[in-house]
This record gives sequence, C-alpha cells and structure tokens, in this order.
Amino acid sequence: MLQKFIYQEKGLFLQSLHPVASLTLIAAFFLLSLSFSHPYYLLGLLLVILLSLWAAGGLAAWEGYLKAVLWLILLIVLINALVNRSGSTILWNGPELPLFGRLPVTMEAISYGATMGVRLLNMVSAFCLFNLIVHPDRFFSLFSTVARKSVLVVTLATRLFPLLLATLERIREAQQLRGVDFSQGTLRERVMKNAAIFNTLLLSALEDSLQMAEAMQARAFGSGSRSRYRRDIFRPRDAICLAGIGLSLLVSVYSLARGMGTYTYFPELGSLQGSKISLIALAVVLLGLSVPALLNWGCKYWPYLKWKI
Amino acid sequence: MAKWKAPLFFLIVIGLLAFSITTGKQVKLSWSLLAAGIVGVAIIFLYWDFEQSPVSPREISVIAVLGAVAALARVSLAALPNIQPVTFLVIVSGYVFGARTGFMVGSTAALASNFFLGQGPWTPWQMFAWGLAGASAAYFRAAVPNAGKWVLALFQFAWGYLFGCIMNVWTWTAFIYPLSWQSFLATWATSLWFDSLHALSNVFFYLIFGGGVIKILNRVKKKIEVSRLPVQDVPASNNHKLLLYKTITYSSIKGLPR
Repeated sequence: MLQKFIYQEKGLFLQSLHPVASLTLIAAFFLLSLSFSHPYYLLGLLLVILLSLWAAGGLAAWEGYLKAVLWLILLIVLINALVNRSGSTILWNGPELPLFGRLPVTMEAISYGATMGVRLLNMVSAFCLFNLIVHPDRFFSLFSTVARKSVLVVTLATRLFPLLLATLERIREAQQLRGVDFSQGTLRERVMKNAAIFNTLLLSALEDSLQMAEAMQARAFGSGSRSRYRRDIFRPRDAICLAGIGLSLLVSVYSLARGMGTYTYFPELGSLQGSKISLIALAVVLLGLSVPALLNWGCKYWPYLKWKI
Repeated sequence: MAKWKAPLFFLIVIGLLAFSITTGKQVKLSWSLLAAGIVGVAIIFLYWDFEQSPVSPREISVIAVLGAVAALARVSLAALPNIQPVTFLVIVSGYVFGARTGFMVGSTAALASNFFLGQGPWTPWQMFAWGLAGASAAYFRAAVPNAGKWVLALFQFAWGYLFGCIMNVWTWTAFIYPLSWQSFLATWATSLWFDSLHALSNVFFYLIFGGGVIKILNRVKKKIEVSRLPVQDVPASNNHKLLLYKTITYSSIKGLPR
C-alpha cells in the first residue's frame, strides 16, 4: 500500500536531473505557493505541479496525498469562515458562543479559506513530486560534505528500516513457532504478547548497531577527513531547467514587488481582472516552471533531444 | 565558533522578526514564511551542534537504530488515528542518553518515517517537535532527578498536547487569518481530540513498555560509554610493592635485547 509513495526508479527524464536542479524546482513550487496569495497564481501553480506529476507518472500517488489532506483543507476553510470577522459580505450571522462572541460567516472569509486550501494542496503536491523524482540518497549526498554525521545518521536510519521490518517478521514467526498465538487471548494478553516482540526487536537492533559501529570503525570511519566521490553529473538538461526556474523566480519577484501576486480579500474581495502585464507575468512564471515537465514529455517522444541534452 | 552559536542563533531570529516589521507594504514577509524560517534555522543550528560534537561511531549507529525503530513503530501504527509511539520512544531515549541524542533520535525518526508516509510541509515541524521532546526529556531528568513512574507518565502525557500545540502553530500561521488568540484557540479546539488520543497513547506506551525499554537503553548506554577511571591512589602500606613492581617491569624492559 505504501509502495507508491516511495521513490521508484522509472528511468524518467525528471528522475535523471541533477539533485540541485530537481530540488530547485521543488523549492520554487514551495516558496512561490507561500509567497503568492492571488487565486490565479495559486491555481496556476497547482496546474503546473499537476503537469509535472503527470510527467512523473505520479497522479495515482497524488490521489493518496489528496485524500489525506482533504480533511485539513476542509478544516482550514471552516476555521477561517468562523473566526475571521474582517469580511463585509455576511452570508450567515452565525452562532453566539461564550468567549468568542458572535461568529458571522462572510463570503470573503470563505474565499480566503478556500485559497489557503489551494496553497496547502500546492505545498503537499510539491512534496509528492519530491518523493517521486528525487532519490533520498541523492538528496542527502548533496549535504554529505557539510553535514556528514547527520547525513550518515539519516541514511543509516532509512536503510535500516526495511531490515528492521524483516527482523520484526522473523521474531514474530519465531514466537509463533514457540506456540504464541497473537490472535488469542484478551486485549491485555495480546498487548503483552506484542510488547514482548517490540522489546526483542529493540534489543536485537541495538546489539546489531554496536556491531555496525565496529564495522564502521574497522573501515576507518572517523580516522581522518572524509573522502568522497560524486556520481551526479551536471548536464545541459539541468542548465535548461535551472534557467527556466530562474526566469520564473525573477518574474515572480518582479510581480510581487509590483503587488500583482497578492490579492485583497478584506474587507471586500478585490477585482480578479488583472492588467495585461500581470497576465503576461503569470504566463511567464508558469511557463518557466513547466520547462522540466515539458522536456520530460519531449524526451519521451524525441530520442534525439534526449541524446542531445 | 562554538561559543558564538547561541548568540548567532538569537541574532538571526531577531533579525528575521525585525525584517518582517520593517519591510514595506508591497513585499510583506508573511508569518507562514517567517515561522517556517525560524523553525528551519533552529533545526540547522541543532544539527550544526551535532556535527561539531565529538560523537563516536557507536553513538551514531545507536541514534540511527533508535530513529529507525521509532519510524518503524510509527509506520506500522499509521492506520490508527494519532497513536504515536514515536513520542514515547523519543522521550525515553532523551531521558537515558541525553539532550543531543534525544533531539537527533526525534528528528531522524520524523524524517525517516516521512520517506514512507510522505514528506510534506509538516516535516520540519515534526522534526522540530519530536527533537524538542527528546531534548526536553534530558532537561527534565536534570531538573527532577528522582522522578517516579507516574511523574514521567505525566511528562509523556503533557508532550501529547505540546506536540499538538507546535503542529498547530504551523497550521495557524500558514493558513488562518487573522492571527488572533481566538483563531488559535479555534485551531487548537479542532485538534484537541487528536491531541488527547496522542497524550493518552503516550501514557499507555510508557506504562506498558517504559520499564523494559529504559532497562534496555541503560544497558546499551553502559556498553557505548567510554569512561576513563582516575588513577587510584595506592595506600602507603602497599607502596613498596608498587615500587618493586615498577622496578621489575622497568628492569625487564631495560634488559630486553635491542
């Protein structure tokens, strides 16, 4: 069930990017979602993220994220609608509550809540994309020069995870062979049986960890400065993607500075009709961010392009 | 540099806050970015501290294993609503091994388990909250050295709500407007049910597993610690024996062929 959330090597163009390029893409999605408050910009970003997800073949995984985050979005809309009193178009006078007073529900507050819901969806979808296109090890290898101990800890933990899962199964089977039936007994008895498994798992894992440390020491870990080698190469495709993302970031800063990416919600909703230049800016931002997804599509159908970049 | 770490951290945080006040009307640094920035800076500084600490390979592998066990427990119980075995395990690790290890176990568990449950904007906040839970347990031990079983259970219970509170700050700053105490209370009210489950499950895990896990961790702690014993004073009556021993070894070494 959890398999679809985990990174899988599919040989995609997006997965072949240098981690710097793919991380810049994710960070751009994330930061721009936090910076813009205009519904057009946020919805546009959602479209581009979905386009990238489609290119990465991750729409099925995204549905899982959507289900998990939907209740949070509803909650955000609800709290904003009830608590926010800055709006002027009152739809419902709301209940009278002690401590809070009257809670009027306004159209502005609902629209604000809905836009914030889109912002959350953007951020979550960006992370979904991260899970699909960036291999955890390649991500951490970026930091291995500056934070070698921390990176080692995290890499070891993610590596140990499947190993511990196998150990857990082994302990359970050994217990079953000894006649422990996990489905029998009262709730208390069953809890105690599982507690015994957990303690055994912890004890054996920690014993293994000491051996692991000895193995590390035997391989001269910590005996001097760390040597390293890089397998990630920086190719023209990374430069093209970074150029697109950079362009859209520059235009975003420009449009934020001109006040085009923000939107007035209170006391009354502002006009959604933007000037010509704001539409052009929006188009450039979205186009720049969709460069990796478009190249992914191009490389799929045009081997020459894939070979060239 | 180590001496300047704490002042530098506060300087950056105050600088971020000051920047948010002084920026113009057009480019307003939103609280969502600011709060995420402060948490990010805190995590970077705590990791930096870990990088500079003289940590042995044994400690590194024990932290990794504890983080992985916590992550495994979290993932395998993910279907239950907000039953978080991570909090319990992280607090106990911090309690036994100290603040730095507690923080590392907590943040590693959050990061590693999210590779299986899904990374999200919540990851840094969870890393921060769980790391803090682990570190605070060590300080709690220092403040209340002989805490009984029920006092620790109360500490576990409190962290259920504290964790919810930290995560609520994220939801609140990022998605709610206006940022008033009423809206914060409303955010908290919606999560109260989940936080209570979290707190109760912490106590439950602690009462069932606590004693055994603390015993196991103490045993490991003994094994990974290198303690240097001070040179013992030899009583005066034994002095001549030592002298004799010294002369014998010295002479035997001296007598070795070269």
